[in-house]
Amino acid sequence: MMNGPERPLFDVEEMEISFGPQHPATHGVLRLQMKLDGERIVEAKPIIGYLHRGTEKLFETMTFPACIPHTDRLDYVNAAHNNQGFCITMEKLLGISIPPRAAYLRMILAELQRLASHLVWLATHAVDIGAITPFFYTFRERDEILDLFEEYCGARLTLNTMKIGGLPFELPEGWLDRCAKFVDAFPAHIDEYETLLTTNRIWKRRTVGVGVISPEDAINMGLTGPPLRGSGIEWDIRKVFPYDRYDEVEFDVPIGTNCDTYDRYLVRLEEMRQSIRILRQCLEKLPEGPIMAKAPKVLRSPEGMVYASVESPKGELGYFIVATEKGTTPYRCRVRPPSFVNLQALPQMVKGSLVADMMAVIGTLDIVLGEIDR
Amino acid sequence: MPEPILQLLLIPLIKIVVLLVVVLLIVAYLTYAERKILAYMQVRLGPNRVGPKGWLQPVADGLKLFVKEDLVPGGAEKLVFMIAPAIVMVPALVMFAVVPFGEPFKVAGISVTPYLADINIAILFILGVSSLGVFGIILGGWSSNNKFSLMGGLRSAAQMVSYEIPMGFAVASAVLMAGTLSMVGIVEAQRTAQWWFMFPGILGFGIYWVCGVAETNRNPFDLPEAEAELVAGFHTEYSGMKFALFYLAEYANMMIVSAMAVVLFCGGWLPPFPNLLAGLWALPVLAWIPGAFWFLAKMSFFLFCYIWFRGTFPRYRFDQLMNVGWKWLFPLSLANVMLVALGVLLLKG
Amino acid sequence: MKDFLSKLLLPELLKGMGLTGSYLFRKKETVQYPEKRLEPQDRFRGMFGYSLERCIDCHLCAKACPIDIIFIRDHTEVEEVEGKDGKIKKKKTKVIDRYDIDVKRCMFCGLCEEACPTEPKSIWLTTLSYEGSTYERNEGLYFDKERLESWEGFKAFPGVPVPIDGQNPSDPLGEKLKAEMPEEGAA
Repeated sequence: MMNGPERPLFDVEEMEISFGPQHPATHGVLRLQMKLDGERIVEAKPIIGYLHRGTEKLFETMTFPACIPHTDRLDYVNAAHNNQGFCITMEKLLGISIPPRAAYLRMILAELQRLASHLVWLATHAVDIGAITPFFYTFRERDEILDLFEEYCGARLTLNTMKIGGLPFELPEGWLDRCAKFVDAFPAHIDEYETLLTTNRIWKRRTVGVGVISPEDAINMGLTGPPLRGSGIEWDIRKVFPYDRYDEVEFDVPIGTNCDTYDRYLVRLEEMRQSIRILRQCLEKLPEGPIMAKAPKVLRSPEGMVYASVESPKGELGYFIVATEKGTTPYRCRVRPPSFVNLQALPQMVKGSLVADMMAVIGTLDIVLGEIDR
Repeated sequence: MPEPILQLLLIPLIKIVVLLVVVLLIVAYLTYAERKILAYMQVRLGPNRVGPKGWLQPVADGLKLFVKEDLVPGGAEKLVFMIAPAIVMVPALVMFAVVPFGEPFKVAGISVTPYLADINIAILFILGVSSLGVFGIILGGWSSNNKFSLMGGLRSAAQMVSYEIPMGFAVASAVLMAGTLSMVGIVEAQRTAQWWFMFPGILGFGIYWVCGVAETNRNPFDLPEAEAELVAGFHTEYSGMKFALFYLAEYANMMIVSAMAVVLFCGGWLPPFPNLLAGLWALPVLAWIPGAFWFLAKMSFFLFCYIWFRGTFPRYRFDQLMNVGWKWLFPLSLANVMLVALGVLLLKG
Repeated sequence: MKDFLSKLLLPELLKGMGLTGSYLFRKKETVQYPEKRLEPQDRFRGMFGYSLERCIDCHLCAKACPIDIIFIRDHTEVEEVEGKDGKIKKKKTKVIDRYDIDVKRCMFCGLCEEACPTEPKSIWLTTLSYEGSTYERNEGLYFDKERLESWEGFKAFPGVPVPIDGQNPSDPLGEKLKAEMPEEGAA
């Protein structure tokens, strides 16, 4: 017999498994180092950095307007909010206030983008849990939104649709009507998704009580966006620090009660409805006027540090820019990506649950790796 | 040629060849049908490039899998890895031997039965052989030397073992009503009873169908190959023809489960509503429709349901699947057997 | 009891199946790509157009480009011309030797077009072409000024006939092609 510590009759060992980065359900290149006890997760450790492109460093070498196309590529399903965040931060730094028409147009674009982003989330979340059909329905609607974007700014995904001080283009003819038509048709589609998922007992079983994070933990971890609101905390940058003209429109901030995946799902669906509500008001109130504030052709920054954030579909998206006197490039730019912060809740949310729950939790956090690795 | 040889060898051989060809053809086109139906449910068109409307897609797929390099992963148990797909495929095909596709008919004076064998324990035979297939899945998952495969294989084993019990009870309820274990006998019993067993045995039918879906590892019970979690489950490491065998076996099993549902609960080759519409079916216009047509039509409906489920439902979690199996289906099927037995006793006894 | 029944009869699952079932018969969204092509919108940022005539060699596009893919080299030619008053003047003209765009790295942000001071723009992205795949890795998508000017759109995938009813977006010379096509067909 071998010497050493006594071993049990059946050798019980935790299985270590490396999940990703080329796994179908990790939303890109997320890698999870997991320790499994059978099907139960003992420990899950996210490993990031497979999509690191050094965007923040690149900003330091680029003129302010040239940074904007690069912000598109942070959260690539959600380009408009990235543009908006950067432009708002720069406007704060330069002391520019944009004309009301530009602000309203930005809100329209941002809310359309929020819908598009949430549709991608719903599609991938549902596919992760095994329902493949909602994917195609949501992408059909998303395509209509992308058509609107294409008509407005010429691109579908990486929009580059905002400029520091306003917007680059006036609306094409008839765009508002087509937008209004989409806005009217969209709520019926949300009902369709709900028919397939909300009351479905399998969907409920897979999401209710899965990935619970308490409000205290959510705050301590710095979660923002739907993961925070799903835990019952009413926090929305659009409400608490209104930017553009969000203080002039009415909308509710939906919150969850059970802090689980199902509540976050409901919160996001309700957010889509609220986005429609905001869109309706914006289309109604859209004022006439210029779309660009008076800004010098070559932007030269004053010395200073500035932080501003927007409510992206994933949470608080903030830009922190350090600028030097009369500089044309940021001295330092730091992005506060919501996915990166939200991801750190993952180990706690999946601890002790089954492997299948991991998929539900990754889906419910709605991470985009381009934003996490930057 | 002496008569016994003809009877004993030639006809069965022809039948075997015809059966295999037909079954494999149906299986091949089932994959096409699945892709097409799923696509139509998902507002897209599905395969439509190879041949008219994509009709040659299964041929192209088969050809592609056939000429693909046959890979065996470095750390795999080579022998087990090689034979595992065969272990899955063979039982799936063997089960078709006892499926009665239609009623006996006469060709040139020789009586031909459109089934290979009418053995008096056909149901037992199917239940027995069907549980052999799971060995191939476990062995395939284990021998791949891949953690995802192993987990897929384990899940599959647990799932198949636990769903076989309520399935057996559900089948037993039909057997009780028919009083025989022969597949042909069960259909004949439904002819005499003038009712499909589906109507008195609706509960048993429901249980059978749910278990059948689970037995074949299909959505919403497709955990062993849940691609979101386990990449492709037990056949993650398989490629080429070995993968094709797993794939075909899955569809063959779907066919068997559907065929069993038709025979046990939906009157086999009998036309629909034999008692209510008896006059209609006796009409010369409709009377010539062969029983095999009704059989295949009913089977297609069940196969369509498989695809329909896949297009609609999310997937259960592993422990929930066990819950459904043991806490719902098992007691329900037990109760169902008792109810049916009581009914049979009261009505016939 | 009602609860139990609804657990047994699965009403919400059947409702979901009804929805997917009804989609079987609805109109499909698929666009059969090489035969049918989606028309890009007017503002669609696609492949480059460039006009050497209009270009004033100001280098603003190269400066605006966030990823420095526009490469311009020029030299000044000094010409002696006779002025109105009879004096000989030196006239300087800038001549563009190279105007290269490394399209394979381009991210189609449109900042070069925005920066261009000429009217109409001498570089523009609204050529309505999105079919940018080639068979060569390096040269295929590296455009010099001759190629930028004479570029007529990428050829469609081999073996697939180019639609001649003017719906090929990759072909800015649709009319010309339309006139030529029947001849090719006859030959």
